[in-house]
Amino acid sequence: MAKVALFIPCFVDQLTPDVGLDMVRVLRRLGFEMEFPEEQTCCGQPAFNTGYWNDARPVAERFVQIFRHAEQVVCPSGSCTTMVRNFYPELLAGTQWHEEAIKVGQRVFEFSEFLVKVAKVTDVGASFPHRVAVHDSCHALRELRLKQESRELLRHVRGLELVEMPYSEDCCGFGGTFATKFSAISAAMGDAKAGYAESSGAEYVTATDPSCLLHLDGILRRRNSKVRTIHLAGILAQTAAYADRRTQAATTESAR
Amino acid sequence: MATTEAQTENPGRARILERLRTALRESTPRPPGNGGRKIFAPVTDVLARFQQECAANITECIVTPDMQSSARAVADLLAALPPGEIFVQDSSALRRLAPEWQAARSIQWSSEGGPKESAQATITTAEALVALTGSVLVSASCGGRGASVIAPVHIVIASADQLVPDLDAAFALMRERNTAFQNSYVCLITGSSRTADIEKILVMGAHGPIRLIVMLAMRQE
Amino acid sequence: MSNAAHEFLRSAAEKSADLTHRQIIRRGIDSYNTANERGRSRFLDWEAARLRCQEIKWEAVNNLDRYLLEFEQRVKDRGGHIFWAENSEEARQYITDLATARGVRKVVKSKSMVSEEIHLGPALEKLGIKVVETDLGEYIVQLREETPYHIVTPAMHLTRTQIAALFKEKLGDVDTDDPQQLVAAARRALRRDFFSAEMGISGANFLVADAGMIALTTNEGNGRLCTSVPRIHVVLSGIEKVIPRLQDLATLWPVLATAGTGQPITCYSTLAGGPRQPNEVDGPEEFHVVLVDNGRSELLANVEEREVLHCIRCGACINACPVFRTVGGHSYGTTYMGPIGSVLTPHLRGLNEFQHLSYASSLCGACTDVCPVKIDLHHHLLHNRRDAVNASDRPWSEQIGFTLWRWAVEDARRFRAAGWLARLGMRVMHRLRLDGTLLDPARPWNRNHAATPAPAKSFRALWGKQNGNN
Repeated sequence: MAKVALFIPCFVDQLTPDVGLDMVRVLRRLGFEMEFPEEQTCCGQPAFNTGYWNDARPVAERFVQIFRHAEQVVCPSGSCTTMVRNFYPELLAGTQWHEEAIKVGQRVFEFSEFLVKVAKVTDVGASFPHRVAVHDSCHALRELRLKQESRELLRHVRGLELVEMPYSEDCCGFGGTFATKFSAISAAMGDAKAGYAESSGAEYVTATDPSCLLHLDGILRRRNSKVRTIHLAGILAQTAAYADRRTQAATTESAR
Repeated sequence: MATTEAQTENPGRARILERLRTALRESTPRPPGNGGRKIFAPVTDVLARFQQECAANITECIVTPDMQSSARAVADLLAALPPGEIFVQDSSALRRLAPEWQAARSIQWSSEGGPKESAQATITTAEALVALTGSVLVSASCGGRGASVIAPVHIVIASADQLVPDLDAAFALMRERNTAFQNSYVCLITGSSRTADIEKILVMGAHGPIRLIVMLAMRQE
Repeated sequence: MSNAAHEFLRSAAEKSADLTHRQIIRRGIDSYNTANERGRSRFLDWEAARLRCQEIKWEAVNNLDRYLLEFEQRVKDRGGHIFWAENSEEARQYITDLATARGVRKVVKSKSMVSEEIHLGPALEKLGIKVVETDLGEYIVQLREETPYHIVTPAMHLTRTQIAALFKEKLGDVDTDDPQQLVAAARRALRRDFFSAEMGISGANFLVADAGMIALTTNEGNGRLCTSVPRIHVVLSGIEKVIPRLQDLATLWPVLATAGTGQPITCYSTLAGGPRQPNEVDGPEEFHVVLVDNGRSELLANVEEREVLHCIRCGACINACPVFRTVGGHSYGTTYMGPIGSVLTPHLRGLNEFQHLSYASSLCGACTDVCPVKIDLHHHLLHNRRDAVNASDRPWSEQIGFTLWRWAVEDARRFRAAGWLARLGMRVMHRLRLDGTLLDPARPWNRNHAATPAPAKSFRALWGKQNGNN
């Protein structure tokens, strides 16, 4: 099996390393050999989205150089995958890295996309006996056109009951720097979304983007909501033999 | 006169055109287009589709065997309306049918001027009927602009041979007849006046007719 | 930060916290969504329709001068007048001069966003001319002395109870919250205006070049009365509204209606191309079309953004926008609200004053997905942001921030050290329970989110440990 290069977005590396580890756990179980190019830092999206294309450009070029020899690159974020696949060609237009960027973009896959479309796996042998709703992260949904992939994977998880929440395609309100520049709007959007998640009766809301979940988690807990967030990789990592301490804690808490 | 002045003194015209031409020296790539993909499913049975769409858009479509039957049906309709004059498009076809109505109601012909606000109903012909949307195509030649909008009831006298399948066909017909050049006004009417501006609740009869009635004769005579 | 940006932030924060507003708008948009979905299902191939519309508008906009001249010639042939206005001032002046010269005392208006854009109403009122909005939604917001909340449904932020109270106060002859009776009351009041006004002003959804006619769609019939009853009909339109052929309406009309309200086609799809002709029964004695540039030719010159001129003002992007639903139409402080407004306004009214609108988006892309003419709206927001940065028009703190960011991420060791320091800082803040306080650099985030302790180790550190190196 081909070796897989891990693209761990900067905020996953620093703030939610568990998401990366969970993804590694799943890929390892499926027999993938992995490498983590240690030179990687950030794909450049924060600067690109804020308009600082001149600052984003060298960072993007750097990324292309680091991953140019990887056969397959997997990323636990639809948003960062989008940055590379959809936005690099425009950002790097006219530079010597343009062609290379397009090629790299075609080899970078979002985690659920990689499993279902590339590895052709829908049952990863996971077990997660909970009611789960999917939030469709915007970049995965509208830039990468991914929607059924995560659901397909979840349908094969032992004990998992998949429920649909209303307005699952509505943005959660994170939006990168939007969340701090327009925090009142962002929080209100998250609050509406949290309400939809609660009304679905789900115990967990999952997504393919840890940034959406970081945002929703903070909002849900502030509402003293019973609904918890978990990244898709976090669900798929758990098996009958291995249940994560985080979810165990949450389960006992909600049972109390 | 302000207009003449404005017409002759419109330096903005040349400046705007100049800016547009300069801007357009650089072109943008043509979008892909739809490669001739069909947008609407072809309408096969024009009459059935027209009736179905009328029911959906709240047009009262009454099918009659011939024009005389249409005229009698209209007379019955008029009898139920409150007192007041009836405005009728002055055309040879409607002149022939008018005796059915004149007994009971006073008629104002379009040749005497546009409909008054007090008109209880207007009776006109149509340029065509569009099956796809259940619409009535009228022009200024169909009794004028006010004829299809001022009174609370608008009655259209039409025949089945005026049915066209869709909007493409309606515009083709307009081109053939030069409708747009012989009229300063054309309207494609689909159902009666309505609004949903209050809490998105549908209310019929906003400013235009509350009832739109199409008398559809199967024969032209 | 510009005044407009300050006002936006204030108003947006207020509306964001208004749960009643959130509920009213959610309900309104839900009913739009249901109708729109049903409407789209009537098409055999909605995507093919979008592609066709995109192509039509591309052809029109990329031959704008030619089609405008064709339109002008045909209108003149029928005895109509055309005035080309470079800016708001010229457009207003033409109409106020005309109204003065003709002794106009009352004007009835059918919905025209361009009239809002050029602030026509106040200019006429200053001359003592009464201006009456006749679209019911516009009429309601006019009675409330507000601007339209939404370009298609101007009064969608109001409940029937509020409208009932308004009518009782302003019209007097109605005391009910039954929509049917409220509409009837407005009809009675507006009929008097239609028949006493000397001038009717309308917008135009399209200017049809080969026919020399304006295309105007209304459901209520107010547009038809405005263009039929008064002695003078004035059309106000942006220059970008021109389309090549009558035949194009076979696609554009149903698409506009479906995207706008979910209807298969609008009740009255009207074409008007001049004053009453010698052989005609009725109609205005004069017909004037005011073609407004007001920044549009500059947008045309911007090849990257040119397609923004394809917009047919259906409002679909506004309905789809989660930011609009949260902050409401009035917070924008602009004529065009929602995604199209955020893209367009910086071009029409200055990037410096209105760049904040390009930033007030989570870039979710819902707008682009629904746009019936396939304008790449959220990518244009990105372009506006880039242009604002390139014009050095951003706060110093942000500029320095990204310089530092770049320094940190251009080297893995620096990134690692910076990350370690940031996490340490966050943990200390959390330990001292200072998250979200004024001392917390992450306050904008932490005051809205429950505190989360930062992890002690990064992924790369943990990976290193698992894989034996490090």
